[in-house]
Amino acid sequence: MRFRSRSLIVFIAVLLVSCALLVWAQETKTPVFRTKVDLVVLTFTVTDSKGRYVNGLKPGDFRILEDGIVEKISTFADGNKPAVQVNDDGTVRPLIGSAGDSKPGIDPRSDAFVGTNVFVLFDTSNFMYRGFVYAEDAIADFVRGLDRADSVAMYSFSRNLSRAAQLSRDRGEAIVGLRKVVAGDDTALYNALLLTLRDAAKVPGRKVVIVFSNGPDNASMVAPDDVRAVAEDEGIPIYVISTNEVNKDPISSSVFRRITTRTGGKAYWAKTWQKQVEAFESIREDLGNSYTVTYYPANNPNEGFRKISVEIVSDVGKKYRVRSRPGYRPRT
Amino acid sequence: MKALSVVLLFSLITVLNASDVVDRAHRLELSGDVQGARVALAAGVQSAPGDIDALTEYASFLNRYGDPDCRRTNARLLEAVEKSGDRDQIVRVARQLVVLDLEAGDRDAALKHLDAYRAAGGKDWAEFSGWKTAEKTSEAQQFIQIPGPMRSFGRMAAISSDTNPDDILPALARNVVTNGYQASHSNEALEQTEFLKLVHRYLSQARELEKLAGTEKIIRIETCDSANAGELLRIIGYRMRGGCGSEVVLETVNATRAFLTTDSGFPLAELEQALRTNRPFVYDYHPAAVPILYGADYWLSAKEKETGDFLDSFLGDPSLCRLYLGMSKLDRQTADELRKAIAVQRLKAYAHVLDFFGGMFEIRNGKAVAPGGARTEAMWTELTGAPPDQGAAFFDKLIAKDDGWLASFFDALLRINGPVKAYLTDPVRMKRFYMAIRGRVTSPGPARPVFRSNADMMLLTTRLRVDANGYPIIPGNLEVWRNLFITHPHGKYDGKLTKAASGWKEPDDVIEALFGLCRKAVENEPLKIFMALSDLDRHRTKPLEPDTVERLAHDYHVYGNQYAVFNDSPSLSDSTIISFLDIAESSSKIKDPLLRAETAGTLQALVGLWQIFSRQGSIPDGAADATLAGIIAPFAQIRHDPELFDAGRNGVRLLLKATGSPDSATPQQRLLDLLAGSANASDTDAHAQVVQEMSHILEAQRIISIDALFQLDDHLQSLSKGGKLDTALVSRLAARVSEIQLPKASLTSVEKNAFAFGYWTEKHVDAERKLNLRASIERISSDAEKLKELRGALAPFLRDTLVSYNYIHYAPPGAQVLFTNPLFVRAHDFIGVQGANHTWRSAEVFGTGWPSNGGGRLVGSLAGLPYALAEAEQNFLVPSQTQALIWADLVPQLILSAKIPRWWNVTPAQVHWVGVNLRYGKILLAESAVDPALRVRVLELLSLHAVPSRVRQIDRLLADGEVKTALDRVTPHELFALASEMSRHDERAGGPLLSDIQSLRRAHATDVSTQAISSAFGTPKPTLTNSYRPELLGLRTFPTLMGYSSRILAESWESNTLYWVGLADELHASPAMLNVLIPEWTQKVVERIFASHLEDWPALLRSLRIVGDDVRARARTQTSGEQKASLR
Repeated sequence: MRFRSRSLIVFIAVLLVSCALLVWAQETKTPVFRTKVDLVVLTFTVTDSKGRYVNGLKPGDFRILEDGIVEKISTFADGNKPAVQVNDDGTVRPLIGSAGDSKPGIDPRSDAFVGTNVFVLFDTSNFMYRGFVYAEDAIADFVRGLDRADSVAMYSFSRNLSRAAQLSRDRGEAIVGLRKVVAGDDTALYNALLLTLRDAAKVPGRKVVIVFSNGPDNASMVAPDDVRAVAEDEGIPIYVISTNEVNKDPISSSVFRRITTRTGGKAYWAKTWQKQVEAFESIREDLGNSYTVTYYPANNPNEGFRKISVEIVSDVGKKYRVRSRPGYRPRT
Repeated sequence: MKALSVVLLFSLITVLNASDVVDRAHRLELSGDVQGARVALAAGVQSAPGDIDALTEYASFLNRYGDPDCRRTNARLLEAVEKSGDRDQIVRVARQLVVLDLEAGDRDAALKHLDAYRAAGGKDWAEFSGWKTAEKTSEAQQFIQIPGPMRSFGRMAAISSDTNPDDILPALARNVVTNGYQASHSNEALEQTEFLKLVHRYLSQARELEKLAGTEKIIRIETCDSANAGELLRIIGYRMRGGCGSEVVLETVNATRAFLTTDSGFPLAELEQALRTNRPFVYDYHPAAVPILYGADYWLSAKEKETGDFLDSFLGDPSLCRLYLGMSKLDRQTADELRKAIAVQRLKAYAHVLDFFGGMFEIRNGKAVAPGGARTEAMWTELTGAPPDQGAAFFDKLIAKDDGWLASFFDALLRINGPVKAYLTDPVRMKRFYMAIRGRVTSPGPARPVFRSNADMMLLTTRLRVDANGYPIIPGNLEVWRNLFITHPHGKYDGKLTKAASGWKEPDDVIEALFGLCRKAVENEPLKIFMALSDLDRHRTKPLEPDTVERLAHDYHVYGNQYAVFNDSPSLSDSTIISFLDIAESSSKIKDPLLRAETAGTLQALVGLWQIFSRQGSIPDGAADATLAGIIAPFAQIRHDPELFDAGRNGVRLLLKATGSPDSATPQQRLLDLLAGSANASDTDAHAQVVQEMSHILEAQRIISIDALFQLDDHLQSLSKGGKLDTALVSRLAARVSEIQLPKASLTSVEKNAFAFGYWTEKHVDAERKLNLRASIERISSDAEKLKELRGALAPFLRDTLVSYNYIHYAPPGAQVLFTNPLFVRAHDFIGVQGANHTWRSAEVFGTGWPSNGGGRLVGSLAGLPYALAEAEQNFLVPSQTQALIWADLVPQLILSAKIPRWWNVTPAQVHWVGVNLRYGKILLAESAVDPALRVRVLELLSLHAVPSRVRQIDRLLADGEVKTALDRVTPHELFALASEMSRHDERAGGPLLSDIQSLRRAHATDVSTQAISSAFGTPKPTLTNSYRPELLGLRTFPTLMGYSSRILAESWESNTLYWVGLADELHASPAMLNVLIPEWTQKVVERIFASHLEDWPALLRSLRIVGDDVRARARTQTSGEQKASLR
């Protein structure tokens, strides 16, 4: 039996159309230019002399310097308000626009720069055994109290990381994930923190990592300072709530201080449930009262650590205190 | 372009006739475009539906590649041939469909097609008269009830939710035995661990919840203010905060209860949501019914039966758990016979022996299957006190003998096959070796601990080699071993053996001594030396000279971990081996610790590269010896850094020369190309991907390229000879050195002294930090001698670069440590802690979990680097199951098995050979369900690899027609071994697969030889064979062994690569892509393993298949998308 026969003409016609398609594809091929995009995302808080948050400042109130070089702010966001694009003349316009308006590295989606992407990293190792359930309650309360615009991911760890709930605005998902975590054995805090930062780095917009742990690490391969460098470079503040007393484990305490301060976050020592709730409340306030700016660094020969400073231009601002990460190392 | 080529191909096919299509498809397949062949055949069928020729070719093609569409296409073909009335064709296709139906688990369809086959005149399987509807056993299956859902109990008792129901109670028993009890601090009794206490507490809570669930066994809370809501919350340890309604939040009130609630996975969030929305909360709380062997009454004493629940008694009695575990390992028939013949209390007394060694016990037709068969019966009778033909009575005596020593010997002999077994089961020798193991004092026996303590004996019986005359091969000669036992250079082995050694006359004396040492709890160095040297001789073209063996035996204590290096070239001369030992010794005497570390690092890195290139075939075997000799020679007398730099540079030159890599590229590019593996021109994409990955790691580690170092060296040499300073070059290269910007040490000196580990490492990195090359050159540019000396400052950088090449070659998938810690390579500590010289020991991971120390690092030599890197990386893998933990001793071996072998030189025929054999193995099992005679042969071959209980289980399943379930219990390696053996002797009517196998064997005899397939798709076994050369040994899967945990189990597991290659064949992936895909797939397998214990290799097999199915599903979606696009 034979296949349906087709005339040679049909075959040639198909061939011609195919070749034409190929030629057309080659002719209309738009050249692709690849550029190295180093958008810097910088989150910081401003407080007055009494430690109260200062809101409502405008892009023009700030001057961002990298190694002393003034940077041009690209986008600006105050707390959980939607981010705005900053024009050359200092005026602003809504960031949300067509994809054509977007700059490389900035996700033009409407919600990419609204709210904060919060990654909670919960220590479920043996060290946390006693306070495990109270910690869960405190974290659950924190998740429930997050701003509507925020997204939250729930991770837990002992020797390995577990992604209990992926990043989502659905609080229920996060709490279901939280309630499903299981107690583990060894503590590889800095390994887990590194993996969490790697995940967070893939998400556009503002993000923070909140670590809930009692401190001692007995299984990590990576050093806290190497992990801190990743957070610094990616612009991700780390907050730590330690369920230990500050003096009980001086090494962990000193490490916690270092990684939080250097990334623009904060460390809390909260042994009791009440203190933990307060710590979470403080973080939530931080998130709702921080400014986020993005910029493309001006030419800078320094391929090493670049020092960032945020200045408030107005006179009144000179009394304010700015808390931000001190710098970063550009990607090679 | 790919879519366009498919369009063109499809267009072309539509104007060709069937035979043209077949020819074209055949040509495409031969050219390696298997996917193109499939598209052509599919298009042929589509354009001529009902065309028997087109359908036949398509079906045959799909069958050869194990395509899931195969069954459907054959069904279409059967319809077509039935319409045509061609009886021969009907017979052929219906027969094929019976097999495919059985593989798919569709017994009804298989019976229907069997009828069609017979109706058309099919003559095979005449003895088949139907399957049993259900398993007929002497007793009905019995169950125990565990309160609450199995998932919750499993979480608390560390039992995987994927565990087969029959395996739940054995898994629980094992966890109780290994993790449930610990020595008491206050007295000699055992006390429960926290793990077991939590299981008990959970059961108590579950019983309360069960009561609340009532007779319906459903926990139902209608509304937030229902009466039983409070009771439920009390039991689970929570309370409501806020009034009923949207504000309600559950919070802990009783931490102990709440912990059990959350740890067991009670749906707390769902309960909270129901209370908040005032909707009913309904939770099925039926108890889990778990199968139990022989019913609960068999296991309990009269008192226990009266007083309590089975589960409580079970958990409270570790020896009962051990007995259950032991009995569950026996095959059902053997267990039944033992149960009938031996009282449970007596069995319980020897439960530990049954647990470890019962797995190989087998009673057939009332007789015990003993190693050695008929010729050893009298000896076994003498040793046990009962003849093997008395079945249960024989085993009764065996388990009670010598606290398990005889049983352990019996087990070890049953695990091996071939000439070694013949040697060891010679009755006289058997008794002699047994007496050596047993010793005078038999207690404690080998089964007393919770892990097998007779690891050495299993290794000896597995790895011993015998010559063509049936005598053991002793490396060197008898004299060497006699001297070793008499002089024992590094500590006494055994006083009696020392005395006896002077009278040794034959190889059996050495073997007897080695058996004698196997019973010792301390490290058995002579056995390790014997195995290492035996493995060295195994691959050599010429056995080692006695003097060399003597020296290697003498130096094993210090340099033994390096011996694997010599295994990578079979023609390495004795003189080079001796030189290596001499140079290692002399370099260890360098007084300056920093220079000693730099020398060891540079030497080992070069030797490591030689090893990689030799193993990959980049250095021809004929050049391997001279190259290694040339590399190591300059290290004989290193006095200062410039000499070291020269020695390093000389080594690189020799390596590049030996590999013959084209010198058009820079040394760095050439080395990276070689490290990725020698690829064909057609594999450039995969090769580039591997090279790119390695380059990224070099960047992350801030490694200076070897090109920069050599250019700088050249210029410094030219300056010292009066050349003119090239400021531009020096500035550029010095900037490269300074731009490394090594992160500063994170510790203050005080912290370092107080907490940090490692001293010389910091010195090495500090020296690099301090170097200001440009300033130094400018300062001494007119002093030739000083310029020469300055070249020495480059030596530490050269060491790092060479060491980094070894690291990137073995970098595990993900390589988080290498990407995050920029000092990881530089921090490699070749000296180790003071007082313990690590320079020539295997690399080990040190310093994990010390936040103050700057991260973990590797300490020791570069021997064992692949394992150490994989070990360092394994905790970065993210298990897909919340409570699944990465399997610490197994995972590094799985990772290195995916990283060390490279598959650039694998041919498409070799890939197809594995694929078609795996499929042929499946067919053999499927046909065994309808062919009792074939089943006997198949099971006989399987019994060479699988334990009796599994063989009998497969037998029962096949007899019931449950082929799919039976296939789940056979590993890819067993399937491959079965097919390879059967295909050589299968004289039945061929079938397309068998003819495919035979034509491959004819056309590619060398490529598909046992040796070639073993090298191509085997795994490295550094512990078992002292070598990184991949090979297939066809061993039974080992149990966990004391001192090795599951590392040897992992080395005996040879299924992964075979499975991946079969998958690649099915998906028509090119052999080169294996280099990219296998590491990626392996990582996924590790992340999906959900095991209950350290011997749970079925969990590994499950994970392998899950990942394989995922890959298949994704590939099908992609293929179907492409085909749809072509049709559009």
